[in-house]
Amino acid sequence: MATETTTSSAFVQGRSLSKSFGHVRALQDVDIDINEGEILAICGDNGAGKSTLTKILSGVHQPDKGELHVQGQAVRISDPHRARELGIATVFQNLALVDVRDVASNLFLGREPVRWRFFVDRRKMLADAQKVISDLRVNIPSLTVEAGQLSGGQRQSIAIGRATSQNGRIIIMDEPTAALGVKESRKVLDLILRLKADGNGVVVISHNMRHVFSVADRILVLRRGRLVGVKHKGETTPDEIVKMIVGVDIL
Amino acid sequence: MSSSTPMAADNFDDADDTITEVLSQEVIAGVACPQSFWRRLIANRNAALTLVGIALFIFFSVAAPVTFLTTLNLYNMIRNIALVGIVAVGMTYVMVAGEIDLSIGSVFGFLIVVLGVLVVKYEVNIWLAALFTIFLGGVVGLVNGLLRTKLGIPSFIVTLAGLTAYRSAALVVSGQLPWNGDGVGLFYEITGGTIFGMPWLIVWMVVVMLIGGIVLAQTKFGYHIYATGGSLEAARNAGVNTDRVKVACFIITSALCGLVAMLLFGYLKTAAPITGTGFELRVIGAVIVGGVILTGGRGTIYGVFVGAMIIGMITSGLVLLGLSQHFGDIATGLLIVFIGTMDLLVRRAAARSLSHGEG
Repeated sequence: MATETTTSSAFVQGRSLSKSFGHVRALQDVDIDINEGEILAICGDNGAGKSTLTKILSGVHQPDKGELHVQGQAVRISDPHRARELGIATVFQNLALVDVRDVASNLFLGREPVRWRFFVDRRKMLADAQKVISDLRVNIPSLTVEAGQLSGGQRQSIAIGRATSQNGRIIIMDEPTAALGVKESRKVLDLILRLKADGNGVVVISHNMRHVFSVADRILVLRRGRLVGVKHKGETTPDEIVKMIVGVDIL
Repeated sequence: MSSSTPMAADNFDDADDTITEVLSQEVIAGVACPQSFWRRLIANRNAALTLVGIALFIFFSVAAPVTFLTTLNLYNMIRNIALVGIVAVGMTYVMVAGEIDLSIGSVFGFLIVVLGVLVVKYEVNIWLAALFTIFLGGVVGLVNGLLRTKLGIPSFIVTLAGLTAYRSAALVVSGQLPWNGDGVGLFYEITGGTIFGMPWLIVWMVVVMLIGGIVLAQTKFGYHIYATGGSLEAARNAGVNTDRVKVACFIITSALCGLVAMLLFGYLKTAAPITGTGFELRVIGAVIVGGVILTGGRGTIYGVFVGAMIIGMITSGLVLLGLSQHFGDIATGLLIVFIGTMDLLVRRAAARSLSHGEG
């Protein structure tokens, strides 16, 4: 089946991805590799193309130009559902949970386990939810408490749990710590590290250099829709990344 | 927790775990037991509402002893409650999904007239005509739902238009005349008649509410109704087809209008074009008193059942106390405002106690 001459073994490979909205060129010729067991941070100023890039990966947008390969196969990610089938799950910032519903219902929102075709299998749902929560090793007071009563970090954990439990091998997170306090951020970052340790690939968009440098293995920088560079954490500094982001000539 | 103290110096990991555990216990205590009075009141709203219903029943029994507790009055009351309660099931779906349907009273009138004209003027078989009426109700709901979801017109506007349009349609179709059925046969028996001395309408209401309650609370469709009204974006992001959910809710509501049209025609044996005037107020009143919030996402069929009982008791109870029927409508209006205000205040107090407890 491998008709491609793939040089890298990346789970997801994007080549020359381009996307325009009207005459705004949101993304131009961007290459991206996402590996399992690795955390890739995407950095860039507002309007640099971070969201456009992740939305292409999660199937929300279609690229105008460029190729996507998942596990070596050329694919078209037509919608988020297709992305999930391919093993790419996205955690939508702030818009992931239904506050008035309980934790278990939120974890299985849209894919509730059923018996007799129509009835939600509540027992199985609770058992599966328990498993998801303990796999993530996060503290959720109860599976039947409303999501709206939980803290920001706990809510983020549930959103992430939903992504991992639906066959997500690559988890995309848009600003996962943006709305969180220091302690809560730490917990989510720990969770991201555990996802990596479990062999998942994680893509994190973040503005926070401290968070980026505490978890990321590689850092991809975009500016005005173009790829500025990809750096391994060990061979760069926050200073250099910031310069790449704002476009100051570092030579 | 303070009792489990012994920590060896070479056991930092264990100590760490213990600290983490203690911290997490605090988190659990902070969230799982915010047992402020207000929170408990929200959790037990249905129980509190039931007590209010029972209190009202006792009040009217004492205040109007000769008239209220008679079989005749109770049956009349329950017949009205049944009509309101049946459509309230659909309205609950619509409102939990975050929408509203103001057209139900007029649709009710339009459909009963269609049924009457079909049966009396065109001599269509009454069973077929009744089925067609329910089907036509479904089509009305489909139109409401599609206008709402595909064109994005707020349901308030769509169904307000329906409120006037279907009332006029009822007048046109009926020629502004009541159409009287012969009242003979099984159809009239199982709609307007009695079983074991009890109105069939009660049976219809119980069946619709039981099925309606189970569907809302326990099926995938019900879960998706709550999710759609609770957070449209989150539901969509999770792959719930929120448009389809909403359209289905509108269809069910209007089809239930067809069902009550059939039931009322069977009971009164006549179809008048003014049928259902003000019906939307009583149904929405029952739903709001029953604990469904206007912004969607919350509410139960049991609560709405009690809400319908309360509205029904007030409407007929005040008449028995010698007040004009209009006082019933005034009282209903006041009750909706009162309950709505209470819900808001209790929720605010609960939110305050929660943030207080955490901060």
